[in-house]
Amino acid sequence: MRFGEPVLELVRGMWITFKSIFERPVTVQYPEEKRPVRPRFRGRHVLHRYENGLEKCIGCSLCSAACPSDAIFVEAAENTDEARYSPGERYASTYEINMLRCIYCGFCEDACPTEAITLGDNYELTFTDRRDAIYDKDMLIEPLPAGSDELTPQKVKPGVHTRAVPEMKNPDD
Amino acid sequence: MTDRVTLTIDGKQVTVPAGMLVVDAAKKVAVHIPIFCYHPKLGSAAMCRQCLVEVGRPIIDHATGHPELEDGFPRIQFSAKLETACTTLVSEGMVVLTQSERARKGQKEVLEFLLTSHPLDCPICDKGGECPLQNLTMAHGPGKSRFLFDEKHHAEKQVPLGELIFLDRERCIQCGRCVRFQENVAGEPVIGFYQRGRSMDIVSFSEPGFDSVFSGNTTDICPVGALTTADFRFGARPWELMAAASICSQCAVGCNTTLNTRREARSDGQIVVKRVMPRQNEQVNELWICDKGRFAGYHYTERDDRLLKPQVRRDDKFRSVSWDAAFLQAAEKLQDAEKPVFLVSGRLSNEDLFNLLQLADGLGAETLLYTNMGGGDLTGMVGLTSGSNLADLGLGDVILVVASDLQEEAPLWWLRIKQAAERGAMLIVVNPRETKLEKHADYVVRYAYGDEIKTIQDMNKATHKIHKVFAKAANAVIFYGSEGLGLEGSSGLAGACTSLLVDTGHYARPNNGLVGVWQRANDQGAWELGFRPVKDLQVIFDKSEVVYIVGADPVGDGAVRLKKRKPFMIVQELLSTDTVGHADLVLPARAFTEREGTYTSGERRVQRFYQAVPPRGESRPDYEIVAEIAARLDTALEREPGLVMDQLAEHIPAFGGISYLKVSEVVEQWPVINRSELFYGGAVYENTQGLGMQLRPAPVTSFPVSKGKGGLRPKEGLLLAVPVNKLYDQGLTVLSAPLLRERIGELKVCMNPDEADRLGFENGARLRIGLNGNNAKALLVVDPTVPSGILLVPRSMGLPIFEAGMPVLSKVRKKVTG
Amino acid sequence: MTHILLRHRDIPDLDKLAVYEKQGGFKALKKVVTGMRPEAVTQLVMDSGLRGRGGAGFPTGRKWMFVDKNNWPHYVVVNADESEPGTFKDREILESNPLQFLEGVAIAAFAVEAHTAYIYLRGEFWPIAAELDKRIAAMEKAGYLGKRVFGTDYTLKVHTHLGAGAYICGEETALLESLEGKRGQPRIRPPFPPVSGLYGKPTVVNNVETLTNLPPIINNGADWYKSLGTADTVGVKIFCLSGRVRKPGNYELPFGITFRELIYEHGGGIIDGVPIKAIMAAGASSALILADDQTLDTPLDYGSVHRLGAELGSASVIVLDETVRLDWLIDKTMTFFKHESCGKCTPCRDGSFWMKHLTERIRDGNGSAEDVKLLDSVARQMQGKCLCALGEFSTQAVVSSIEKFPGDFGIKRKVSAS
Repeated sequence: MRFGEPVLELVRGMWITFKSIFERPVTVQYPEEKRPVRPRFRGRHVLHRYENGLEKCIGCSLCSAACPSDAIFVEAAENTDEARYSPGERYASTYEINMLRCIYCGFCEDACPTEAITLGDNYELTFTDRRDAIYDKDMLIEPLPAGSDELTPQKVKPGVHTRAVPEMKNPDD
Repeated sequence: MTDRVTLTIDGKQVTVPAGMLVVDAAKKVAVHIPIFCYHPKLGSAAMCRQCLVEVGRPIIDHATGHPELEDGFPRIQFSAKLETACTTLVSEGMVVLTQSERARKGQKEVLEFLLTSHPLDCPICDKGGECPLQNLTMAHGPGKSRFLFDEKHHAEKQVPLGELIFLDRERCIQCGRCVRFQENVAGEPVIGFYQRGRSMDIVSFSEPGFDSVFSGNTTDICPVGALTTADFRFGARPWELMAAASICSQCAVGCNTTLNTRREARSDGQIVVKRVMPRQNEQVNELWICDKGRFAGYHYTERDDRLLKPQVRRDDKFRSVSWDAAFLQAAEKLQDAEKPVFLVSGRLSNEDLFNLLQLADGLGAETLLYTNMGGGDLTGMVGLTSGSNLADLGLGDVILVVASDLQEEAPLWWLRIKQAAERGAMLIVVNPRETKLEKHADYVVRYAYGDEIKTIQDMNKATHKIHKVFAKAANAVIFYGSEGLGLEGSSGLAGACTSLLVDTGHYARPNNGLVGVWQRANDQGAWELGFRPVKDLQVIFDKSEVVYIVGADPVGDGAVRLKKRKPFMIVQELLSTDTVGHADLVLPARAFTEREGTYTSGERRVQRFYQAVPPRGESRPDYEIVAEIAARLDTALEREPGLVMDQLAEHIPAFGGISYLKVSEVVEQWPVINRSELFYGGAVYENTQGLGMQLRPAPVTSFPVSKGKGGLRPKEGLLLAVPVNKLYDQGLTVLSAPLLRERIGELKVCMNPDEADRLGFENGARLRIGLNGNNAKALLVVDPTVPSGILLVPRSMGLPIFEAGMPVLSKVRKKVTG
Repeated sequence: MTHILLRHRDIPDLDKLAVYEKQGGFKALKKVVTGMRPEAVTQLVMDSGLRGRGGAGFPTGRKWMFVDKNNWPHYVVVNADESEPGTFKDREILESNPLQFLEGVAIAAFAVEAHTAYIYLRGEFWPIAAELDKRIAAMEKAGYLGKRVFGTDYTLKVHTHLGAGAYICGEETALLESLEGKRGQPRIRPPFPPVSGLYGKPTVVNNVETLTNLPPIINNGADWYKSLGTADTVGVKIFCLSGRVRKPGNYELPFGITFRELIYEHGGGIIDGVPIKAIMAAGASSALILADDQTLDTPLDYGSVHRLGAELGSASVIVLDETVRLDWLIDKTMTFFKHESCGKCTPCRDGSFWMKHLTERIRDGNGSAEDVKLLDSVARQMQGKCLCALGEFSTQAVVSSIEKFPGDFGIKRKVSAS
């Protein structure tokens, strides 16, 4: 081993440190600052509504059937025109996701025939009690869209919302 | 023509009886030809055209009469068109191809037609997950639709055919299974097609809508979700349901059922029964159950007034106590009493009854059966024996039904007897008034109330036509009921029937014997174990110190009137009955859905039911409660139902050879139904948990001489109130089903129009009826089929009538109250 | 020429009993009932070569022979549910020559030893039914029907029955269902009606025109009848000529005349002298025949028309000229078949519904070449799967017009019916 080689190595290393003084820092000041998530990020679930305020979820339980970790529990009930939650005959009277069980695979999203459930960009899920990890429908459903003032259940005209599965186009992608 | 023909289906050779359809023959070799309109119990309709297959037949050389050969094999000529497997009969040497390119193409094309008019409802459809159309679409359907979505046929989605069954017109594929079921199987054509072509609709033309006691079965055999029950509408998805084998506890037929259960948020996260489905047992209920079993089968076990904790009465108030304290008190009271009385009913399982019997033996207690129908000692001797099956009865056999309105009391027996009559069995209906079975009868014998026994005794005279019929018949079965008869009268009637059977040699062999149309699921079992009813319960209650009542409500039924001095009452019950209200010690029992056990049906078949849901509160199964009490009296009784049965089989000769293993045995049944091929038998459950086992023929030495008088006769100037059984009554087991409220209705009494005229009543009049000191309001129905001098009063409809210990029939003085 | 079936055209007031009697009426019936055995009558009809005039052309005598002799009673049912678009021959017989027809009914009933005959008329024929009832009563009074026909032991009761307006009830098994009071829907065949028909008993179902042929056959003998027509198809036939011809109507002619003779000689040619384009030989149920010279010179009998890829059926010849657009035409036929599909079997119920959507789209000019292909495919998909022949027939016009006149389905433009 030549003399001086260790010193050279040291200088080389210090040079890298020195160089980085001029680089912009990459640290994000979470939670004050949040990194934007990727478009296909799979975070906490959101249950969606139609523009008229009705829930997209029809309580079909297909998400629960698709769920590989058995995290979703759905119970259905029947809509009436007097008290309508969703189009068609059926709505979810109970909708619960156990966030501790959920593996955020997005199968529920794939299974949903009405595009009611999507995995959102919220990843800030903390609980101090296991029971708090069970999100019910009120926590999952999105707030009312602007301009609509009626919460579900709504009283609607008979014969308007007869179909549960909307007439959707085949997804192009 | 030979009786059996050999054919080849998809390369598999099968030999089947001549006259069989290709679709059934294929089933024998596990080739599943897709079908919608065909059903093995309903026969061919050739409507859906789904079962298209290629059929080839050997070319017969006309000179020799033998098939032409080619390289040593018969030359097969395939027909130019595809043929429907559901209408094509098998023939010798036939070759059927169900998977050839042509056949598959045909099946796929028909399916495409069906789908053009079917909505994409699967996510919300109750059938989704157990839907033949869904399954067959996955198996044979095109992946892509060529039909424009905008041109889809739309129709009404929520049409109540009655309050029990809903129709979705859009989903209907017009296979007509429901219509054919009602017409051909149930014999109640209350629904039919309306309009034609694509507008063809199912409509109900009865009042109330879909007025049939078998209506629920149409939802099982519907190959799409067009017919759904109001009971299970959106209740759960089929794949979320757990299934437990059970036996219907509503009557003595013992239909095999499957209880579907699921955890439910609405019930505080409990596992609850969501629906009752029939389970195939070709010896008992085939693929059907009645609406009472389906819609009222389990609801009473989920009532809010279920007893959840042991309670004792202190200072005229109930206090909850620990089981230990309750057992101890019960044991002490029973031991201290000079001669305690055990009053049990046929709601209990064989195991419960056997443990009770053992405990009573140890205590020297008196055992009583709570019933108002007698003759069980005779059905034990000359009842149906192992190897009996009502489906075997046909041409050359005779069935006699006496003093029973079978469709109201035991709908499945009604159905099976009707079918036997259609197969050619001679059906004789002997009843004082018109019943629905008479339409299918060869002979109808009408007698006056009070002449029941005499009528049967007259028939047993060697010169009587019916005696001759019996003497000639290959097999004979008598069903007797208790219409117009009390305990004594029905005992006497059973005696008369026994004489007829014994004198003509129809006993102690399969498919021959006497069947009691009992009101409870295990009355026959209680009789077999040696429990006997007593004429006057009141006397017993008046003199006894301690009465241990299990599964009976003598106070609510008006069988006893409690006086100031009353015995210490230990009541073991499910619900808060009137008897529980007067109890001194209450022991909460488990419902049949929460425990295991066996019932002995009226056909003397021991059948096992399994636990479906967890128990409520602290309730315990009856056999266990009894064993715990016995343990405190230093008597060791089994606590495991299977072991109790082993003991039972050892001690009671009729049960010899019966064990849980035996009653759980299954043999292949025809039709072969399977949950994975729902399109064949419908959503009915296949039986994997046991077909049950019939009791042995009892060694008969001598028969008790039939004494007993018939019921009371109507008298001039008096009205005779005759209690009759209704399918839907206000008993707690039925009333607890919210869906059936409308069918139960109010108390309706029936009277002859002449009688009503004489008394100045009009049809629909509101009456106040006093009977045995009880009062009730009733609606009068004027019915010309009721004999004069008679007032028909349904049992368990708010007016307590109990005639075991009391005069059988009470006279109602006419007092016009306006 | 003198008419055999439409004799009223030669003899006025032939529907009056006295006139008919005077013109040799009931001679045949008398001869049969008083002097012949039923088997001999059947044999005679068999020998005459008479074939069913309802459309299928099944030999009448053969049908009678199939009647099960071990199952009694037997029935004769007359199919007077004339509902095929373009067919109007039975109506003229029933209105104007009813006595010859009723005589034929009685002869058929005697031949198959039936004592009850039902005449099933389409619902719109209610005035005819009322007239027939009167004539049956008069004939009973005169001893031609009812108890002791011509003083013999033979009894025959004839009833009329009105349908409720369904095309499908012209299909014989659906007719029988309807007659029994059930929904008019076809039955599974076999068993065929001569084995198990009305109320499960052996039944002969014959067309009005077929039966009207019987009295002259009995009177003149089998050889006389055989001398008419061609070797392939003997006898005379009422041709219902309609469409773009100058003189539409019923023409009673022997089998074997050519299309050209029928259309140009008897029918007076095409309106405005437009060139002829296609021919439908059996009403709306038939395949289209390309009307070239060879076609026009084809003799009209079952075999020759069959060789053209169509069927003669009930000989309801609809003539289409160049002004008729076939996309309009098939939409017309599909409207009819969709409306009249009984709904029992899937291919017809859902297939006609689908085809109607497609033909409508194509007719309105909203269809594409893909739609025409799809229509053809759907129609072919229905073939060979239906429960009865009507489902199969509903595809004929569609398939044949797309095949033979692809030009009509090329570039779309609005076409109005002329």
